[in-house]
Amino acid sequence: MTAADVPATDAAANRRRARLIDRAPFLVACVMLVVLLAVYAALREGVFTLDELNVDTAAALTLILAATGQTIVLLRGGIDLSIGGMISLGTVLAATRFGDTLAGSAIWTVLILLIGFGVGAINGLLISVLRLQPFLVTLATWSILSGAALLILPIDGGSLPGAWMSAGNATLLGLSTSVWLLVILFVFWLWFRETRLGLTIRATGSNEKSAFLSGVSLTRINVATYGLSGLFAALAALYLTTQTGTGSPTIGKDYILPSVAAAVIGGISLFGGRGGLAGTIVGAFILTIIGNLVFVLSVSSYWQPVVSGVILLVAVLASSLAERSARRSLT
Amino acid sequence: MDLLQASAVSKRYGGIAALSGAEFHAAAGEVHALLGENGAGKSTFIQILAGAVRPDEGMINFDGAPFRAANPSAAQAAGISAVFQELSLIPDLTVEQNIWFRHEWRSPLRMIRRKALREKTLELFARYAFPAIAPDQEVRRLTLADRQVVEIAKALARDPKVLILDEATSSLAPRETEWLLGLATRFAGEGRLVIYISHRLQEVRQVAKRVTVFRNGQTVAAHDTASVSDDEIITEMLGRRMERLYPERRDTATAKLALKVRGLSAGSRLRDVDFDLREGEVLGVGGLQGHGQRELFQALFGIGKSRGSIELWGREMTARGPRQALTGRDGIALVPEDRRGQGLLLSKSVRENLTLAVIPRFSSGGILSARREKALVAEMMTFLRIKAKTPDQVAGTLSGGNQQKVVFGKMLLTEARVLLLFDPTRGVDVGTKGEIFTLMRDLAAKGYAILFYSSDQPELVHVADRVAVMQNGRMAAILEGAGISEDGILRAAMIEKH
Repeated sequence: MTAADVPATDAAANRRRARLIDRAPFLVACVMLVVLLAVYAALREGVFTLDELNVDTAAALTLILAATGQTIVLLRGGIDLSIGGMISLGTVLAATRFGDTLAGSAIWTVLILLIGFGVGAINGLLISVLRLQPFLVTLATWSILSGAALLILPIDGGSLPGAWMSAGNATLLGLSTSVWLLVILFVFWLWFRETRLGLTIRATGSNEKSAFLSGVSLTRINVATYGLSGLFAALAALYLTTQTGTGSPTIGKDYILPSVAAAVIGGISLFGGRGGLAGTIVGAFILTIIGNLVFVLSVSSYWQPVVSGVILLVAVLASSLAERSARRSLT
Repeated sequence: MDLLQASAVSKRYGGIAALSGAEFHAAAGEVHALLGENGAGKSTFIQILAGAVRPDEGMINFDGAPFRAANPSAAQAAGISAVFQELSLIPDLTVEQNIWFRHEWRSPLRMIRRKALREKTLELFARYAFPAIAPDQEVRRLTLADRQVVEIAKALARDPKVLILDEATSSLAPRETEWLLGLATRFAGEGRLVIYISHRLQEVRQVAKRVTVFRNGQTVAAHDTASVSDDEIITEMLGRRMERLYPERRDTATAKLALKVRGLSAGSRLRDVDFDLREGEVLGVGGLQGHGQRELFQALFGIGKSRGSIELWGREMTARGPRQALTGRDGIALVPEDRRGQGLLLSKSVRENLTLAVIPRFSSGGILSARREKALVAEMMTFLRIKAKTPDQVAGTLSGGNQQKVVFGKMLLTEARVLLLFDPTRGVDVGTKGEIFTLMRDLAAKGYAILFYSSDQPELVHVADRVAVMQNGRMAAILEGAGISEDGILRAAMIEKH
């Protein structure tokens, strides 16, 4: 039906309704976060303070950074398991190579970021040139990177410069480094999603063939997408070292599936094309607050994955219901 | 001086020649129709012009210089834009984002200027009097017809010298078709060229000054449209005289009811529909596009939720769903709207597609019998004259007409005698169209009951025994006998009834 066949006000109302349905998964995630925070606040004093914000953001930021890369890949319609290996490798390199000098830290920071982007770019190339599944390619590179991390540092250890640690845990205007980094990250996203690259990644995830017919080079887009994911994994690793103060060759695997979960809870479609970073950040905070709750309730910490799984199901159900109702009203 | 000259253009795919020495000359300022059966080489030719395919041999001159485009973007940059049947739109982007995709205006910070997108879109819509479509609507929410309109806007946005319209009206309603024909005329009037491809000769006559006919990869004729008759054009396309497009209508309907539908409703698009379909009858379904026809077919086949009563051969259908609908001789079979997406598994063979819905017919105890399957497939391929090299040819490589025959074969193998045909001739060449109509009448004579929707009004007028006209999800009228005419259908579809 053309717009002319229905009264204009109807069409506008329909559109507003459709928008709301589209945002339903994100809104559900926000509601879940609010509920979790309310429960948390009921169990513990001082939840709504700057201190708590600083602490929780510090706890969530590694996951948020890793999930930012994952979000970009998911929007492209892919998945990146290799971030687990990259995060391990990043912490190990930082803990063994930084030394005590500022110059050494600076050079290796840049190198680690370059390695992250480079590894991601290789993922992208393998996927497009050899036409392989992202799942399998990144599963393989995850294994390679994890092995490399273990070869460099077989057990947790190494050390980081004191200045590096204090920079990661400083406070400015009452807000910790982590909160400021989160703000910078979000500003970056607001910019990135309005760029041609941001739009093209989302478009390619929405329909690869159409994008190709519109002149998009799939190779370039894959290199950029997975390169950014690798870059964010490296950032996550660097940030993580400011919190742990050590290198760990096995820590990265703890971020692979949670990074996907955070994005999906926040409303990113696994089929690509739909969602944004705000949802992912909410999703990451949900997972973090669940951890806090388990701690406050002093029950076994193994409850954390159980509750996270239930939340994930609720989120997936919400987006599926939204999808179905959208289809019912708009076919 | 011609704007576009193509001479001796050839293209082979493996051992098959898609084009062998095609010629095409067209001048600026004209609408030039390119006609031919499916598989005649039209698609390959325009894909070469659009930069999607590279020719093996031949010379193309465009605007006084040799033309060689490595990809669609290069062709667009040179001034040739094509509107393909296969839509190139991105579902999750908005109308305006799609129209200017990869040609956006950007701020110094490299951000896309949303305001510019909006302004330029409205400007473009106003310039060519586009039908009303909200620029901020996501494309996935649009109807097929509106998507086609956006696709046209996207092609025009590149400000091309040559606009290629490939079956662009196949999913448009009459009003939008008129608009597009007007647009083509106006675009050509600006001193540019429109290459117009359609299976509808009526439109070609209305809009095109010149016509070039392809057959088997070669150019068989080029003339002024006014100087040839429809019959002559069809003869040139087929290489033989076609007896007639529409078979003789015989009244084969009996008094027995195949389908009795009362109070059928689904969502807000299908409201309280009553009708009877008799054994041996072809009942046409007409009306403007998007007035509940699709929902009617889906509800009858059991897709989605519906209310009301459906009696099939006198028995109430209770459990609904394609699995229930497809139960043998007493079932219902559907030829769906979207042949490539819903009708076929494009990457599977003709054999697998034909027998997908009837695996129990050649299996016992969970074991498939290749011999029995082969026999069924061979029988159906002969019956429908499906042109495939072997039954194992991949369905996606067949021409549109042959693909549709495979869908028909798949449906006939279910042995269901109530057939739902949703726009079965869409994008099908005229030769196959004739075969489909003949098949429909033959099946009706054998006692099949057929519900037939077509977006092409004349087909309803010439093939159906009665025509049910839908308006806003309701049956506005059921036309019979002398009452069936294009005019009558349009009147019933347009005049408000409350």
